[in-house]
Amino acid sequence: MAAKGLFNVQCKLLICDVGRILEPNNSISRPLLCYQQNRGKRIARPSKIAPRPWFVRKKATPHMKYLTEENKELLDNVALHQYKNQPSPLRDEPWPRNEWTPSVRRAGLLGVKIGVQPQWKKDGTRILCQLIQIVDNHVIRYTPPEEYQKSLGYKPMSPTCYGSLVVGAMSTHPWNYSKAYHNLFLEAGVPPKRKLTRFLITPDAAIQPGTPLSVHHFKVGQYVNCSAKTIARGFQGVMKRWGFSGGPASHGSTKFHRRPGSISSGMDRGIVKGKKMPGWMGNDWRTLSNVKIWRINTKYNVLYVSVGIPGPHHGYVRINDSVTHKIKQKYVEAGKQFPMPTYYEDDATEPYPEDIYDEELFPMTENSITFEQTE
Amino acid sequence: MPTMSGLYLFKQCPRLVPPVIDAAKCNIQLISRSLYTVPNETLEKQRTSPLNRNPELRKQSKHRVLNSKEVSEFRDRLPEFLPNPNPEHRDRISEILERQDMVNRRRNIDIPEFYVGSILAVTIADKYAPGKDGRFVGICIHREEHGLRHKFILRNVIDKQGVEIMYEMYNPLILKIEVLKQEKRLDDSLLYLRDCPLEYSYIPQDLKGQMIHKGVQVPVNKTKVPLGPRPWSQRWDRFDLKGVEEFTDWRSEKARIRALESRQHPQVAKPWEKVDLIKHYKENINPVEAEEIYGEVDKDSKNWKND
Repeated sequence: MAAKGLFNVQCKLLICDVGRILEPNNSISRPLLCYQQNRGKRIARPSKIAPRPWFVRKKATPHMKYLTEENKELLDNVALHQYKNQPSPLRDEPWPRNEWTPSVRRAGLLGVKIGVQPQWKKDGTRILCQLIQIVDNHVIRYTPPEEYQKSLGYKPMSPTCYGSLVVGAMSTHPWNYSKAYHNLFLEAGVPPKRKLTRFLITPDAAIQPGTPLSVHHFKVGQYVNCSAKTIARGFQGVMKRWGFSGGPASHGSTKFHRRPGSISSGMDRGIVKGKKMPGWMGNDWRTLSNVKIWRINTKYNVLYVSVGIPGPHHGYVRINDSVTHKIKQKYVEAGKQFPMPTYYEDDATEPYPEDIYDEELFPMTENSITFEQTE
Repeated sequence: MPTMSGLYLFKQCPRLVPPVIDAAKCNIQLISRSLYTVPNETLEKQRTSPLNRNPELRKQSKHRVLNSKEVSEFRDRLPEFLPNPNPEHRDRISEILERQDMVNRRRNIDIPEFYVGSILAVTIADKYAPGKDGRFVGICIHREEHGLRHKFILRNVIDKQGVEIMYEMYNPLILKIEVLKQEKRLDDSLLYLRDCPLEYSYIPQDLKGQMIHKGVQVPVNKTKVPLGPRPWSQRWDRFDLKGVEEFTDWRSEKARIRALESRQHPQVAKPWEKVDLIKHYKENINPVEAEEIYGEVDKDSKNWKND
């Protein structure tokens, strides 16, 4: 294993200034020149952090720290100038727009959780609302179903009617990303995004790359599905992870307070696959379906939805239309139409108010609630 | 000689320094969380960067600059406008939206200036009451929480029974808030009135309101209250209370000495908390941010409803 150790040293030396290290009176920290072997078991755990194999390398080597502040400013101005004068793909004729039907599956948005606030209904009951902000969303790419089925991300058993649409959030400073990552955004003509997601959509809801997505994509009173990654809790025991009851606290039990108990019976059968055991907890994708949108703030692009979405504060959330059959039927009966394929800025006939409230929700700009006397 | 790392400092003086974990010992879960969350600083960079389309996120409001004396007055008078200082829940945009809701509510209803210890009368809309509304008079014993969640507790005695009602300040069911007597007490919270004799929290329901002179300093009521017999809801002998007489009804001399000794124990008295600058910094909004918040409030307060 000495070769492995040597390799590490070489890699680290390349990053440093080589001439300084070779001087006799240098001051290098010890772990740089450590030749100690790594002994013992090296278990390869399935990492939840590992990216998909077809992902492009995102980050480039950080050169920014070697620049002076004047040069940093100059680079910022160059980036602004470049992205403002870039020819947008939207100058060509827009793609055809279809009407909304219950069989259509539209694209979604990528938001950030920013807090929980109380709101009141018109009958006086108090509810809690989760605030989700949509920061600078753009459509990056659309692949039709035939091409999507050939790609690596397609699972063989999944339905063939869906194409994929990539949505990105938060345009960033372009100098810290690799060239391969930059090439993803050439079609859309936008600066590189901090976060990307993919939505499976039907071809009649396809959106042209480069179109901005805003909070008007959804309507107040609509039901949506919100999916996010749960809070990572590390390696946890069986009581916290699966809610087992553990052992008794007293009555002579020794070293049996938080244990799972018997795992299986019989030597021949072995342990059943999928048995609940201790292990890595959290950091999984979970969806909360049929969440109501109570209120929309159009000034800051904020959605007020029902509470209970997984994940920590400032976590990313994917927001999608609800797929429940009953809810779609209700939309049809009420004669509701949703912006297809998305909301464009030219659609607005009148200027929107700053806050749009649900019918049941109490607007904070009104007078207090009073009840009428009935005999 | 060990190096002066964060962990070493933390072991030497645990109360003064927050637990800083060395990068080498950093847990995997901390690394993985950074993949699906945005830190507050980077999110703020995104909002204010010129590459962003929405210009509203970049705007900074202009208001009159307040001096430190005015800010401390505002802190005393309108404490609910400061957000929760816990850094895990903070966000600039959600705080702006919350403040907007509070201000909109104050334009429609007159919420007068009051403190812990002043006597209030609150009327709320009630679906099940005979006149569809109810009025309650009591002494304000507690105020807590930030923003729209701000609430206060009124206490009174009805039929020889202590009664308390908790009101949310920005609940739209509230029709009217009257201040019958505006004064302060010696303590910030009067929850100890629960363990005092009932006569100290009795207020007649037909009490008439006094005149409130604006621009005059709020008077402080310096009455001292005796505590009732033990057991209490909390160990009041361990608190540093100014509005309470010294308790004398101990069971024996031995019990009194034991209570006195336990009060002086370092785990109870916590003498380091007076010097703990980081604790004070974490539990309070710093003066620079408070000045910005109250500057906006001061600018908007001309539109508020005043009866």
